[in-house]
Amino acid sequence: MPATASGGARPEEAAASASPPSPTASYCMGTRPEELTARLAAAAGGRPVGGGGGGRGGGGGGGEEEGEHERVRTLREIKNQIIGNRTKKLQYLRLGAVPVVVAALAGPGASPAALVQAAAAAGSFACGVDDGVRAVLAAGAVAHLTRLLAHPDEKVVVDASARALRMIYQSKLAPKFDVNNNEKNMEFLLTLLNSENENVTELAANIISHSCDSTTEQLALCAAGVPQRLVNHFGGSMNLRDACLDSLTAIIRNNWEVASRFALLDHGKALRSIVALIHDRSPRTRLLACLCLIALSHASPCHFQDRQIKTKLILVLLELIEEPGHVGDDAPLALTTLIKDSVELQKQALSTNAVQKLSNHLIANSLESRRAVTILLALAELCSKLEESRSQLMSVQASTLILDALKHASVDIRVAACSCIKNISRSSKVLSAGKLSCDTFIAPLVQLLYDSSMSVQVAALGAICNIAVNLTPRKSILLQSGAVSQLVHLSKSMDPTLRLKAVWALRNIMFLLNPKDKDFILKELTLSTLSSLICDSEHFVQEQTLALVHNLVDGYVNSFNYVIGEDGMILNAISRQLNNAPAPGVCIQGMFVLANVAAGGELNKEAVMNILVPRRADRVKQSFIVNFLLSKDKQLRVATLWCVLNLIYPKCEASSVRVVRLQNAGVISQVKGMINDPCLDCKVPLCSFIY
Amino acid sequence: MFLSRIVLRDLDSIDSPAASMASSKKLVTRDEWERKLRDVKIRKEDMNRLVMNFLVTEGFVDAADKFRVESGTQPDIDLATITDRMEVKRAVQSGNVQEAIEKINDLNPTILDTNPQLYFHLQQQKLIELIRAGKINEALEFAQEELAPRGEENQVFLEEIEKTVALLVFEDIKNCPYGELLDVSQRLKTASEVNAAILTSQSHEKDPKLPSLLKMLIWTQNQLDEKAAYPRINNFSTAALEDPAI
Amino acid sequence: MPVRVVDTATPSSHPTSGQDANAGHPSPPSCSLLSAGRCYAGTQNVSTIQKEEAWKVNVRINDCDLEQGYLCGTMEAVNVPLADTPVVTFWEGEIVDAKNYTFFTGKWEASPEDDIRHWSKFPSFTPLLSQIETDGGKSVDFSNYAYIFMRWKEQYFVNVGVDCGLTIAGFYYVCFSCSDGSISGYYYDPNSSPFQKLELKCTNEKDSGFTFSSYELQ
Repeated sequence: MPATASGGARPEEAAASASPPSPTASYCMGTRPEELTARLAAAAGGRPVGGGGGGRGGGGGGGEEEGEHERVRTLREIKNQIIGNRTKKLQYLRLGAVPVVVAALAGPGASPAALVQAAAAAGSFACGVDDGVRAVLAAGAVAHLTRLLAHPDEKVVVDASARALRMIYQSKLAPKFDVNNNEKNMEFLLTLLNSENENVTELAANIISHSCDSTTEQLALCAAGVPQRLVNHFGGSMNLRDACLDSLTAIIRNNWEVASRFALLDHGKALRSIVALIHDRSPRTRLLACLCLIALSHASPCHFQDRQIKTKLILVLLELIEEPGHVGDDAPLALTTLIKDSVELQKQALSTNAVQKLSNHLIANSLESRRAVTILLALAELCSKLEESRSQLMSVQASTLILDALKHASVDIRVAACSCIKNISRSSKVLSAGKLSCDTFIAPLVQLLYDSSMSVQVAALGAICNIAVNLTPRKSILLQSGAVSQLVHLSKSMDPTLRLKAVWALRNIMFLLNPKDKDFILKELTLSTLSSLICDSEHFVQEQTLALVHNLVDGYVNSFNYVIGEDGMILNAISRQLNNAPAPGVCIQGMFVLANVAAGGELNKEAVMNILVPRRADRVKQSFIVNFLLSKDKQLRVATLWCVLNLIYPKCEASSVRVVRLQNAGVISQVKGMINDPCLDCKVPLCSFIY
Repeated sequence: MFLSRIVLRDLDSIDSPAASMASSKKLVTRDEWERKLRDVKIRKEDMNRLVMNFLVTEGFVDAADKFRVESGTQPDIDLATITDRMEVKRAVQSGNVQEAIEKINDLNPTILDTNPQLYFHLQQQKLIELIRAGKINEALEFAQEELAPRGEENQVFLEEIEKTVALLVFEDIKNCPYGELLDVSQRLKTASEVNAAILTSQSHEKDPKLPSLLKMLIWTQNQLDEKAAYPRINNFSTAALEDPAI
Repeated sequence: MPVRVVDTATPSSHPTSGQDANAGHPSPPSCSLLSAGRCYAGTQNVSTIQKEEAWKVNVRINDCDLEQGYLCGTMEAVNVPLADTPVVTFWEGEIVDAKNYTFFTGKWEASPEDDIRHWSKFPSFTPLLSQIETDGGKSVDFSNYAYIFMRWKEQYFVNVGVDCGLTIAGFYYVCFSCSDGSISGYYYDPNSSPFQKLELKCTNEKDSGFTFSSYELQ
């Protein structure tokens, strides 16, 4: 019966789908997924699956051959419906079609035509829909398809199976192909890699890219001579070459040994062949060759000192941003990886106008695109170290786009924009000019502290941390923006990163702040929150909190009352931390708090003394302060020294009593010994204070 | 690039004090130019490969086969695949979109799965064809069931769908602001996108090399115009050298 | 030193990055008295032949990066004639470390003779003079010298326009004493009166001790 419109099949579609195998078939095929699934199940001799009950067309009649024909047509129809079509895939998944399709791969008598269609359909189910991948894997498709790779005489079957497997291995959900503990697997992989059929070799390369992620696997593949074989395939088709480049990158990544061996392979010829590919005609090949060389240079810098190549990489990648599609989207990411942490390369990129070029692309592209995200991240990297990049980026039109990006609907764009601002403001020069400390930037950033996405909150905190350092003579706008209460709120978050960055921002706001504003912040924060943050489970948070306290008590006489007051809650917390000898950073900041407190009046000095040399009978345990003075950490020695110096300064009766106490605890002799300290910063104050 | 570099370098070596005195531009006479051109050796095989590349990419399968026999140049692709590709292209050009989709899937089922934009454009073309044929109900249903989910996945697609569906609203389609969707040019655009995707899947470059060489020639001449007066090629179909204007 | 402007992306690569041409060259000593947040107060002598005059000056260090030989800060001149408010400028400094910068300015209209003439006004420079005459100061061990030599160049006016009647065309030769945090300097501008002396004392020293502040960038 002819398909009805309500079934979603249109006459011309039905006609077209009916055309190839047998346009004269005695029945007309329904094309509703329910019917097709049921018919396929019936043809396989199984029970119909899903709810398409009534629509079982065709039915029994005809011999084996006709049955097979129908099966092929059904499989082909399903395939044509699902390819590219997510909705249809999900629909068929719900109907339970995948096991039936995969079963068609298993039949011993299946015709090549049926195998081709079933393989294509299975491959398509595994593309773009996670549930599809799971279903295909659960139905055992990998084993069937792998077996079919050895199909004796039908190249079409081998091609179709290889393609389907490639689709499956593209998914992260696909199981790893274990070459490490399985000799047979390695052997099989090598057979695939040596195949005459490029579809099969490409599959081998894809399997490697998918599966190779541990050092031992990389070494095993390297020992089996895989890199050389992959390089040998560079002469093949473009797609094969790209797949080989990609898997080579997977084998080399972060593995010094493999990377160095590869660099020397074939007297450097293999390496040179990749270098040559960065000038290939195909943009995708150029990108993949760049990525491979970047992986090499990161894994084995000593074999990759040729600066010229790196300059070329920068130029090629900047050009690739102009390419449409994934290549142009990914090129800025590759550039980011290349120049990460290298001032030298960032300078080179800057000298090739990278900031200008990237900005122009940002302006030319809509913020909707993935490219906008990757470009913003590359710009952020360029601004991570170089003042010149920062001023260039701030002067171009792009800076208004960054502002737009802060308010964009996409999480990724907001995060990328925050990273940009964070890195632009990672500069005392920019902060001194106060260009970012205006309402235009601060208001949207503060808004992002309330964002529903935590990654946006973290990114916004990064930017605010830096902008919070007020190096201008003006009053900080941040204080009036409502940021403080949200920062205080975030400092109590369950998430350690949020806590860390919120406290960090508050610490930077406190830097040289006037007493009135310090008061304001402390009222929001409360002493009890502060003391519990000092004892936070994460020592990074402890460290920033103590730094916050040390800024709080600097130059603010009243603040001593806070620190000493409320039963000495804060000082007790600090004392507890220092006695537990935690991370050096915590000790340093803790000692600076004590140094600042000790710079106050007699009451303060006494409070600090009681922490350093408690009036207790137990002389068993040596005071931590002696250990601090002996520390390898220069900063800890300096901080401790200043604390001691503040305690015995100025010379008066009370301070001589303290000197005696410190002397008894072995502190003074230790301090005097520091006159020979290799660090001038420890030595010099001694000269002026003690001698 | 290759050409321009040679020409520019050779030009620098031309010793022509009289000319440089007369104007700031160098003057290159026709004789000199032709002599220099003769010195540039271009291998016949390379020329043949360029021609073959053009025929293969553009899909002139018969011409490519004849050229193979006559010149002995081997195409870098199985000629049979050209026939398949041309059938797909023709199907799109004549509005048989479903047929084209199925043929593409037979050729390589991964093309449309990995190229959502192309798949969408084919579906969009299918909708356009339904509207053209006046099958309004079918068109509406198709738009709702097949295209709408694509629009949910992608903002750009959504806008395209809206434009296409707008065709249904106008009585006089020709005056619809998006009437150009019904033009033959829209079919050709989709067809060429299909052609490019198939070529890419076959590891073949999607554009022939000859046109880009021609573009390069134009660019080079324009660059050279600023530095020299020389016999220019103005008519690209005859490639005749024209005497420099002095 | 109390202030860290830590590069969180590369926590440990900074001092040993290997990219630096002169990695391993000893920098001047880190000094807790010359670091971000430190404030100094004193005078700049602007006397001319006609009359004796001195401005009150406040200086704040905003950043100090010994590795790069860079520091910056603000300078505030308080009782400037003809100005209704204190005039604040932003300056950037070069630290003489024989790695990033030498005693020779090489710009800002300062000849080597000008340089030596100004540096020689600092008593702490005298012991170095012979070494500078032999190798330009390459062999001086700045890491063990209790004085830090710098040039401060004002970049822009922070709170007034360029028409404020002051010029920032010149720059300061500066000598910092690590032992007491005092600063002396000489303003050099071929078009201004010569050897205007700057004298500053660290103000973080309270009656009863030294205090510290710090910030850290991400």
